[in-house]
Order: sequence, then structure tokens, then C-alpha cells
Amino acid sequence: MTTDATEATMPIADYLAQGGVLTAPGNVPPRYRAELLRTMSSFVDSELAASAGFADAINRAPGIKSRIAASRITLEKADHAERVLALMEAFGTDAQRYEDAHDWAARVDRDATLEAKRHGGDMRLSVFHYPLTGFTDAVVMNVLMGIASQHALGELARCSYQPLAEVLRDILPRERRHMELGLEGLERIGPTDEARASVAYWIPRVAETFGAAESDRFDRLRAMGLRHTDNETLRRAWRAEATEKLSALGFD
Amino acid sequence: MPRFHPLTVTDVRPETRDAVVVTLRPDPADADAFGFTQGQYLTFRRDFDGEELRRSYSICAGLDEGCLKVGIKRVDGGAFSTWANEALRPGDVLQAMPPQGRFHTPLDPARGRNYLGFAGGSGITPLLSIVKTVLTREPKSTFTLVYANRQLASIMFREELEDLKNTHLGRFSVIHVLESEAQEIDLFTGRVDAEKMEALFRLWIDAESVDTAFICGPEPMMLTIAESLRKHGLTDDQIKFELFASGQPGRAKRQAVAQDAARTGNACEVSVTLDGATRSFRMPKDGTAVLDAALENHMDAPYSCKAGVCSTCRAKVLEGEVEMITNHALEDYEIRAGYVLSCQCVPLSDKLVLSYDD
Repeated sequence: MTTDATEATMPIADYLAQGGVLTAPGNVPPRYRAELLRTMSSFVDSELAASAGFADAINRAPGIKSRIAASRITLEKADHAERVLALMEAFGTDAQRYEDAHDWAARVDRDATLEAKRHGGDMRLSVFHYPLTGFTDAVVMNVLMGIASQHALGELARCSYQPLAEVLRDILPRERRHMELGLEGLERIGPTDEARASVAYWIPRVAETFGAAESDRFDRLRAMGLRHTDNETLRRAWRAEATEKLSALGFD
Repeated sequence: MPRFHPLTVTDVRPETRDAVVVTLRPDPADADAFGFTQGQYLTFRRDFDGEELRRSYSICAGLDEGCLKVGIKRVDGGAFSTWANEALRPGDVLQAMPPQGRFHTPLDPARGRNYLGFAGGSGITPLLSIVKTVLTREPKSTFTLVYANRQLASIMFREELEDLKNTHLGRFSVIHVLESEAQEIDLFTGRVDAEKMEALFRLWIDAESVDTAFICGPEPMMLTIAESLRKHGLTDDQIKFELFASGQPGRAKRQAVAQDAARTGNACEVSVTLDGATRSFRMPKDGTAVLDAALENHMDAPYSCKAGVCSTCRAKVLEGEVEMITNHALEDYEIRAGYVLSCQCVPLSDKLVLSYDD
């Protein structure tokens, strides 16, 4: 590889529009850089917030099996954040300070109404601003958000920044395992009133994480190859899968 | 954050008329930092007329050669590559960051894999490193290299590739495709386009047996090859890319000269360019950050940490003066080029022109 510019034979925008991939911080143009860092930040912040939120579930877990599952989810979500943060470091991010910049365990009131956008300083998805009320609630949230991640991260694993796509392809099966641990947990809990109430609480909040149906940002990201499938299509796919998996466990 | 270390040039060898191979030695204390993985690159920095340029060049040595080597092809108008080809001498010291890059797959001596490589011009450098490493570290694996060049004289590492072929008969094959020089077989003349790829798959390469394909070359070639590989059943996981292009211009632009606007009022006229559109607004000079003012004016400016740490909100000052409260993310050369962290940036002048697109 040589990054002397004049060797490039086509504009980078055309290259990306035709499905080309970028492979290093050195060949990323400014606007692409901004959107890519924003995407990676949102992932890192969401994973850190999810890990911090799930940490409480460890002590609320009934039995050793559930305790191990909750510990594993807490550990691996932090690990996933670290892997993507390492990619951000190559762009100049100070990883040490980044982790200290926000309180990842902070939550709003359970009844607060947040628009689907940023709140506070960090970039976590709005769903991670809501508190978990107990172990059952944590399991339900993990199932619904776990299914959503398969669609949302699956989409990003096709993105045009090869290093991120590769890391996400490694992460996806582990995130899937977290979702499956949740399903196993929910099967043990069963369709109780408490679990049903949690499902009703989380469904609209998880649905919002896919973003607005009409989005200028999506069009921009698609032109850069950072996105491919629109928000509404992903949301529909998630809803169908969530409905199917929940019905199988007796939730109708 | 990666830091620069000195590397001493121990050899500069002309490889073709317009390319040199530079051998480098780290200080003993930095030897570990410069341990590399096949296919990685080094980023160098150097001042040209007071402007710092950074350029990345792939390591062309294999893991078992016990040295660091990069191939540098001269590019028309390329400041760094021209200087390296004309003026670089043994004994010179270059500043380089430790090896980076992910253009590799993990090695496994026990496995017999079939690799396929495509190189265009100086795109051969990382592939040569991968080829040599695979041949020595994975004794059961094979490697087929398709190598595109304009003409015979511009082929880098031609002899070394021949030697490798002879040493590893049956395990390594190289197909030279020359754009403007007729060869005995038509297949090997012309550009690597969709048609040629079809012919290669029909006559020379069994797509089904390929474990991993590596591509390094100019953009159109990467697109064509990737499309063809996917058509023949390779998944994204099996295709590794390394791209040439640089986000930094060949010669760094001069920093915009700060306008000495009369500092009268306590407000600043700000003009912000984002996604090709420019918006203007007035903001108070009371310590408010430009990013916050832009967000208040309903601009979808990029940011994340808002603590001067992550560099998501990086923008370029084209006119005017600002002060950055904290900066943990931008390096000196970026600041000299006019970049700021907009979340930490307070206007000092009465007029400020800022762009997220530059």
C-alpha cells in the first residue's frame, strides 16, 4: 500500500457508491470520518451502558446459572465496546479518557419520555437511558434488544469500513449468544404478569432504536456505504422475529 | 495513541526505474514496537516546507526476513515518494509509527489453505509480505498471485517473485497481466476487468478451492475483482482489501490565514459547512462552544464525547480565530493544518468560517 494521493484513479465517493471498502484511517475522507466515528461511538456507548446496566442483574439473578449468564453478558458487552474503541483510537481518540468521560450506569426515570435522539453527553441509544427494575425486566430487555442488535449490527457488519465490519462480524455470534441466554432465562420465567408488563414496556422503546422511518442521515450513510438497509425495513424484520420468538414462549 | 519512533535507513535499493526498496532498523529499545504482522504498513511523517506530510507504505518483508522493508513507488507530484526515490540515503533517520493494518489472516502451520492474491502496481508490497510469510509459515498452503502492471519494466519484485516460484514449486504461482505489452497468451495482456476475471476463473483458478483472497490495488481494480469473487461464491469474510487512497492531499495546503477582524462586539458571525451546505448564524462570545451553537441552530453536526477526547467533532477553521479549551485527540500536525475539536472550540474573532467537510 502507498497512500500518495495521486495514485488514486477514481473519486473516493464514486468508489464507495459502487460498493468499495476503505481499509485504514489514512484513506478516510473528512465527512466519512465524522459519520464513521459517530457510528462507532454510538456502538461503544451503547455497549458500555448496556454492560453497566446489566451489572446489577448479576446480584438479582436467581441461581448460579442465571448469575453466570448475567456475568457473561456484562463482561462481553464491555469487551465488545473495547474492541470498537480500539478502532477509534486509530483516529486519535484517547481511549483511556473516553471511558472516564461519562457515567455509563446513569439512567433517567422509568416513566420518562425520551425522544429517539441523543441525551446528555454520550451517544448511547436512547433505550439504554431507561432503568431496569429487576431480573425479569433485565431478561426481557435483553431478549428484545438482543434480537434488535442482530438486525442492527448485522447491517453494520456490511459497512464499507472494513476494520469495523470485521470486528462486528466477530462480535455478532457472541451478541446472538447473549440473546439466546435471555431466551433461555425467559423460558424459565414464563409468561407471568410481570414479564408481560416488561414486554409491553420495552417493545416501543426498542422499536425506536432503529431511528426515524424517513432519514436524511440514512441516505447520506448509504451513499458512503456505511448503511444499506433502511431503518423501517430493519425495524419490521426485528418486530417479526421478536413476535415469533415471544409467541413460542407463550407471550401473545 | 500510536507514537512516532526513529527508524534508521540501512539500505536504499532501486527496484524499478521509479521505485525503491528501503530497509529500516528501529532503535534497540523500539524493536518490540516494530514487530509486525505480514501485510501491515508503516506511517511516516516528514516536514516539507514547514508542512508535515504523513504517508503510509506497506511492509514488503516476510516475517522471517528479520528486517523491516518498505517499497516506495514514485508518484507524479507526490512529495514524499519523490523525495524517497531521489534523496533518501542509508544513515538517514525517518520518523515512523509502529506497524498497523489488518490486511492479514491468522496463520496455522497445520492447515493447507489455498490463497489467492491480486496486486496492481505497487499494491504488490503487502502481498509480497503475505506470500513470503505464508510460504514459510504454512508449509501445506498454496498461493496464486495475479499481478497487474503497465509493462514489463514497471514490475516491482519481478526477480524475487521468480525466485520464490522456483523455491516453492507447485505451491506458488504468479500470473503477470501486462496492460500495454503483448504476451504469448492473450489472457495475460490487458487490464484486469470483469471479462479477464471470468477467463481466469475458467482457465486458471478454481474459485471453490479458495480459502481467502487478498486484493491491493487501485479502486476500479478492487471493485471489479471483489465483484467477480463474490459472483464466484466468495463471502465478505473471505475477501481482504487494502486500499491505496489517502484522505490527505499530496501537498498539505497552507493553513488559512487568520483574519484580523476588529474585535468590537461580543458576538461572532459563524458560517458552518456541513454535507456541502453552508449555514450562517450569530453566536455569543461567552465561552459557548461552536459545536453547541451549531446544534442550537439545528445543524446535525457530528459529535460524541463532548470532552475533547474522541475527535468525532473534528472540523477545519477556514477563516477566523478560535481557542480550544482542551484537546486530547488532535495531534500537532492536524492543529497546524487548521483542524479543531468543535466541541472544545470558542471563537475569538468576530467572524469564523468552519467546515466539517474539509
